[in-house]
Amino acid sequence: MQSIATVYFLTVRSLREAVRNPAQEAGNVLIPLFFFAVTVGSIGSIAADAFGIDNFTGFQVPVAILAAASSISASAGLGTITDIQRGYFDKLLLTPAPRSAIVFGRIAADGVRTVAITAFIVGVGLIFGTGFDTGVPGLLVLLVGSFGFGMAYSGFNAAIALRTGSPQAAAAGGLLLFPLIFLSTAFAPKDVFADWLEVLATINPITYVLEAQRSLIIEGWNGFDILWGAAATLGFGAASFTLTFLALRWRTS
Amino acid sequence: MSAIWAEGLTKHFDEVRAVDGIDLDIAPGTIFGFLGQNGSGKTTTIRMLTTLLRPTAGRARVDGLDILADARAVRRQIGVALQEAGLDDVQTGRELLTLQARLFGLGGSAGRQRVQELFGIVDLEDAADRAIGTYSGGMKRRLDLAAALVHRPGILFLDEPTTGLDPVSREGIWRYVTRLSAEDGITVFLTTQYLEEADRLAHDLAIIDEGRIIASGSPAEMKARIGTDVVTVQIEAPDALGRAAEVAAAVEAVERVQIADGAAVVYVPDGARAVARIVLALDEAGIEVGDVAISRPSLDDVFLEATGHHLQVEEPQPAEGGAA
Repeated sequence: MQSIATVYFLTVRSLREAVRNPAQEAGNVLIPLFFFAVTVGSIGSIAADAFGIDNFTGFQVPVAILAAASSISASAGLGTITDIQRGYFDKLLLTPAPRSAIVFGRIAADGVRTVAITAFIVGVGLIFGTGFDTGVPGLLVLLVGSFGFGMAYSGFNAAIALRTGSPQAAAAGGLLLFPLIFLSTAFAPKDVFADWLEVLATINPITYVLEAQRSLIIEGWNGFDILWGAAATLGFGAASFTLTFLALRWRTS
Repeated sequence: MSAIWAEGLTKHFDEVRAVDGIDLDIAPGTIFGFLGQNGSGKTTTIRMLTTLLRPTAGRARVDGLDILADARAVRRQIGVALQEAGLDDVQTGRELLTLQARLFGLGGSAGRQRVQELFGIVDLEDAADRAIGTYSGGMKRRLDLAAALVHRPGILFLDEPTTGLDPVSREGIWRYVTRLSAEDGITVFLTTQYLEEADRLAHDLAIIDEGRIIASGSPAEMKARIGTDVVTVQIEAPDALGRAAEVAAAVEAVERVQIADGAAVVYVPDGARAVARIVLALDEAGIEVGDVAISRPSLDDVFLEATGHHLQVEEPQPAEGGAA
């Protein structure tokens, strides 16, 4: 009970911090939207012929969502480092609140911020005619998935922040997702890939997260894709939260 | 029962022995001063006692609770203000204290009431709803102190609470600390590199140097242990210091001589009578003498006697808005 209350209090604190720093939040959403617009603008017109994808704009919406999650998580890593450098993190550790819950407050806030930005990006997509094949229930599933992925990815940056205390390392942590995005089905389906890239995309968890989100937006209900996406997110989270706990233990030993 | 007790408390960072087997036994309701210069092990000790760092060896109990086995229970009993005022510039003072109160299980109207009460105690009522980033250095220290008191702890750890503050802000913090001990019976563990602060506030004192406690007792006891006047004779030529010490030591009634900062520090029972003999002896030996001062033993003399050097105070660079 105390853990839940602690996570709640510190989530609210992190969200308040985000609201008071609108320039940062604008960057988190505008940069992914810029790449979204450029990608759709540059290869959208040939996607149907080249890849057999009619709704390439909808195909790209999940890429923008994951890029935004990455950006959010990097800024949260910097926030954790600021807390460490100012001594505020120590002040939180000196309370009787469970220490893991203190770290999870900011991670949960990242999940909420990812949900908000997901809703915004989906809205932009709808304006540009992506449609949403699974309707409101599908949107709710997408938002829940985004919450999970936002938290899972944030765990990596929390671990980097706690272990290194370095703003540069935290900023670089946000970029870790980009190689994984490029080695996934972010821009084209696997069947047009070279063999080596197809293998990498198949073992890349980001591929399954993207496929799950795409199925909700442009394909309709596909339980198989959704389950694989959920499993990939859970796996991502298990790995990142384990690293976060280890980094927290290192910092407090 | 001791408020704070430690036996053989040790912390090593790789090859560095930051704290090297210290023992503590601090009575409830007292102000305990932990005096030492930067890098002597004060902050590492406080971080172990407050459960932020795991000791390499040794045991410690705070309010009767083991710092390792009962770490969360220890944190319920203590308030801590570390050297850097650990605050969040984006929140307002009220938001920070309210969050702190909630993390200690003090929510609702009781929490709000306590927060308002604390703003009164540290004279920050007018700034309560301002972003902390707009506070001066002194205001931040006072808010940090308020945050440490939010749950009414029985034991308060203050790590160099006045370092970098101007004299007015320093005086204010001293006033709060004295009041907390005298009126509320709070045990205060205070680290400092200021002799005046230790002398003025502490009921009991330990001097730490290179990770070891080298002297302890009340300030009066420690000064009385020296038992003599102190005659400080500045020697003009640095290469004559050794010879000056030999000459002064041979003067009648002189108990001992130490060399520190270009001066011969002479311990003698009656300084007023001895000073002329000391200066004359030095003059006859051809040693040129500069300023001469006679004083009763101070904590600086205690520190000098224990460590062989004066306490070097390192002030941080003045921060923007450092005033109260």
